[in-house]
Amino acid sequence: MNIQRLRYTVPLRLKSIFRPAQVERELDAELRFHLDYKIEEGLAKGLTPDEARLAALRAMDGLDQRKEQMRDARRIQWLTDFIDDVRYALRSLRRTFGLTAFVLVTLALGIGLSAAAFSMVDGLILRPYPVSQPGRIVDLVSTTHDTGFDNYSYREYLDIRRISSNYSGVVANTNVVPVGFSAQPGTTPRIKAGMLVSGNYFRVLGVDPQIGRMFREEDDAVRGREAVTVLGPDFWKHEFGSDPSVVGRTVQLNGTDFTIVGVAPESFPGMLLFQRPDFYVPFAMAGTFSLDRQKNFFEDRDDRELIVRARLKAGATLSSARSEMAVIARTFANDYPKVNRDRGGAVRTLFEMRTRDEAGEWKFIVVFAVLSIVVLAVACTNVAGLLLSRGQTRTREIAVRLAIGAARSRLVRMLLTESLVLATVGGLGGIVVAYAAIRFFHTLSVPSELPVVLPFQLDRRVLLASAALSLVTAIACGLAPALQATRADFVAGLKATDVDASGRPLRLRGRNVLVVAQVALSLVLLSASFVMMRGFRLGLDAGTASVKDHVLMARFDPRVMQYTPAQTQRFYQLLADRMRATAGVQSAAFTENPPLGLNAFSRLAFVPDGFVMPRDRETFTSMMDSVDEGYFRTMDIAILHGRGILSSDAADAPRVAVVNEQFANHYWPREDAVGKRIRLDGAAGPLVEIVGVAQTVKYRQTFEKPADFVYLPLAQHPMPRMVLLMRSASDPHQLLEPLKSVVRALDANMPISDARTYADVYRYNAVEGPGTGVEIVGTMGAVGLMLTIAGLYGLVSYTVSRRTREIGIRMAIGASPSDVLRLVMSKGLVLVGIGTAIGLVLGLGLDRLLNAFLFNAGGVDIAVFAAIVPALLAVTAIAAYVPARRAAQIAPTRALRYE
Amino acid sequence: MLTEGSGDTLPLDTEMSKPTDLVQGTLDLLLLKILALEPLHGWAISLRLWSLSGDILQVSEGSLYPALHKLEQEGWIKAEWKTTENNRQAKFYTLTRLGKKQLETESANWKRLSSAISHVVQLSGL
Repeated sequence: MNIQRLRYTVPLRLKSIFRPAQVERELDAELRFHLDYKIEEGLAKGLTPDEARLAALRAMDGLDQRKEQMRDARRIQWLTDFIDDVRYALRSLRRTFGLTAFVLVTLALGIGLSAAAFSMVDGLILRPYPVSQPGRIVDLVSTTHDTGFDNYSYREYLDIRRISSNYSGVVANTNVVPVGFSAQPGTTPRIKAGMLVSGNYFRVLGVDPQIGRMFREEDDAVRGREAVTVLGPDFWKHEFGSDPSVVGRTVQLNGTDFTIVGVAPESFPGMLLFQRPDFYVPFAMAGTFSLDRQKNFFEDRDDRELIVRARLKAGATLSSARSEMAVIARTFANDYPKVNRDRGGAVRTLFEMRTRDEAGEWKFIVVFAVLSIVVLAVACTNVAGLLLSRGQTRTREIAVRLAIGAARSRLVRMLLTESLVLATVGGLGGIVVAYAAIRFFHTLSVPSELPVVLPFQLDRRVLLASAALSLVTAIACGLAPALQATRADFVAGLKATDVDASGRPLRLRGRNVLVVAQVALSLVLLSASFVMMRGFRLGLDAGTASVKDHVLMARFDPRVMQYTPAQTQRFYQLLADRMRATAGVQSAAFTENPPLGLNAFSRLAFVPDGFVMPRDRETFTSMMDSVDEGYFRTMDIAILHGRGILSSDAADAPRVAVVNEQFANHYWPREDAVGKRIRLDGAAGPLVEIVGVAQTVKYRQTFEKPADFVYLPLAQHPMPRMVLLMRSASDPHQLLEPLKSVVRALDANMPISDARTYADVYRYNAVEGPGTGVEIVGTMGAVGLMLTIAGLYGLVSYTVSRRTREIGIRMAIGASPSDVLRLVMSKGLVLVGIGTAIGLVLGLGLDRLLNAFLFNAGGVDIAVFAAIVPALLAVTAIAAYVPARRAAQIAPTRALRYE
Repeated sequence: MLTEGSGDTLPLDTEMSKPTDLVQGTLDLLLLKILALEPLHGWAISLRLWSLSGDILQVSEGSLYPALHKLEQEGWIKAEWKTTENNRQAKFYTLTRLGKKQLETESANWKRLSSAISHVVQLSGL
């Protein structure tokens, strides 16, 4: 169809669609004009007015058929038919208002929860990198026995970049690092998120500046020469009010002057999922941000802090890149056996990166997504049930339509329109539900030092997914009932009120399957929510809960004030001493990261002294923390044997460690671990004596399985970034002012970041986050049960209404009401029984899966099922009983006449 | 190219009433040709058809209007309400530029077809 033609046809079609009355009027007027002349002609030939009229009409060959032909010429028949169908659907749905409203609510819940789940799956797993041609970007990782996703060091990155031949560019960045930022020199720095990147970073990723320029290779060529920075789009907006004159301005980062050269575009919030860098700095300036004081960023091959990514060049494939990476890793192992002996190398896709085992969040989301689809399936079966029963009670109407010549396809279309209307309205409601759910997730503020951005949003992708879900729902729910309804033998349909009253039990099979499926699914949902609840409950009582209401925490990083390691340790020593002397402080302690805090714990590589290591591994690893002498008392963690960390465990004293009970039992199952020794960093490393065994608490999540843990004295294992914990007898907020004045007295410009109560962190990590999960699954279980009850009630009352005449006959020949009750109810209960059995099997399976996958809720909980199953049976029995009782009370005389 | 002259998408078939009056597709051609001379309303078109073709081509008045509407929806002719000499409102049809092209194509087709048919008829010596 060419453009010229559209010029004529589009206005006509639009007129037909939007001014149908006018078009009809014109059609009538045109034909009347013709007929008038024809009649005049007839009169002129000497016919009577009536004869002339008849002749004129006859010449038309059926005026109304001709009109219909002319309407068809408009080519919008499909649309007008569709509109008619929609009107019809709305009218007939309004007749069963209660049922329709119920179905709509369940559809909205089902679609909304699924859309919300999709937004999370999308945000955490599917959404591509915000760069050009993201499909060609791969992650290069180092692998060990413990992880398949380790980073590379700067030296290793340079080597990979030099050796590899499969890529058009290899880039690297660090994680976001806290940086002291001040817009003017001399002001107290604020902690912002910085990221070190390679000079080719933006060029290879294909990110162009919003204003100014991005980095060039020269920026990264000479160490310490180019103090330049590129701002992230959000930071530019919030900190500089989108002022374009920032390019060329000087700011201070960790006390050093940097020149802003450009701003990254809105479309590039960074390559990380949860965090957005406020500014980028080239690797060459790493000296200013030195990440780990004990290692040299530029030289140490085991200072692995870089996330390395590469763009596959044209012609290169994932498998060619993988085999090349394996070769490079072998080269490293040969050339640098000390630091690379156990290491391999791998190439990972974005999907592999996002769904790796260490990142736990996506598992929740996947569980959530699966459950929401189960709810959608239950909602769907209900809609199908509704449509099926309406289809069957409308048998006569449909038979009449078929008899007067309606095509079956036309009727199927009409019935499908009905489910489409349901799904559309339900889908709109679903978007509201999804929006509310996503908003709800955004209200969970994550108590972290650098802002955490949840990547869930109601964007175009999610709206598209909701629309697709609604459409699929409409077809899935509507097609089978529509086909079944229109298959009716219409002679029988016209004769009988009830097509399948005699000898066609199969017709009910669809509904039976639905009820069985609903019972089973809601049982699965309920048992899953109970298991999750139990898993979280168990975790809540564990470990550090006792102190949560009385501890204030604050984070320090003296590197932003250019402190040397010695100055840093002295600062910490003074700070702890003065806080302990402050009124209201019961105890104070330093830790790298409190239990159930949000940061990952460092990992310690070690060899238990005297152990013969397996051939294929050099060290074991465990989570670790550097703590001072006040730690165990402040966090109320019990020392089971031996002693805790003492102030006498100074830098020059013999090196000691405290391990947790899990660690002790792991490595020395039938012995006392106190007095045993471990070597740090491998067989040649320093010897450390275990002096105490501490209680095992929950470290990362309340529902985690017991994990190994090692505590080292801060003085012997100094770290630059530490958290100060202060315990008070009353409200910990009261310690904030004393803390500020103590810090100010030590260094007026030292920033205190992340000052909050431990309860905040604990609440987020142990109560709100998991609690939200429990609530969601519980809600889903409850919704599922509601749907099941409604579905069962509907089925039994439907059966009753169809068998009323049969019941009347039975009662007339002597059946008692209780016989009738039994007759009607037994069927519902059999279905519930089957559904329960299936649900039990699935539920037990899911239980085990959840336990293996997510939590440590213990074995299968028989008590949960012992509680749910009778409850489910009771509730469903009532749903069947109410309509059954109504049947039993019908007078036989009425029942026999019932139509 | 032979196109179906009157509505082919009918659920309720009117073709039962009478056999098609014209060789399929030729009505379109005739209408386009008539309108190429001057803009006319439906009644005038039917008179013109009658006078031009006489008894040989029987065009039912009934099939005239659906055909006109089809041509209009195809964009080959356009309609306008104008006042007739008798001071009545009538729908006048005019050939569009697109219609002119269509007329050329269809006349060419018709010529080819008719000459082919007459050729065949002569060959068989009837």
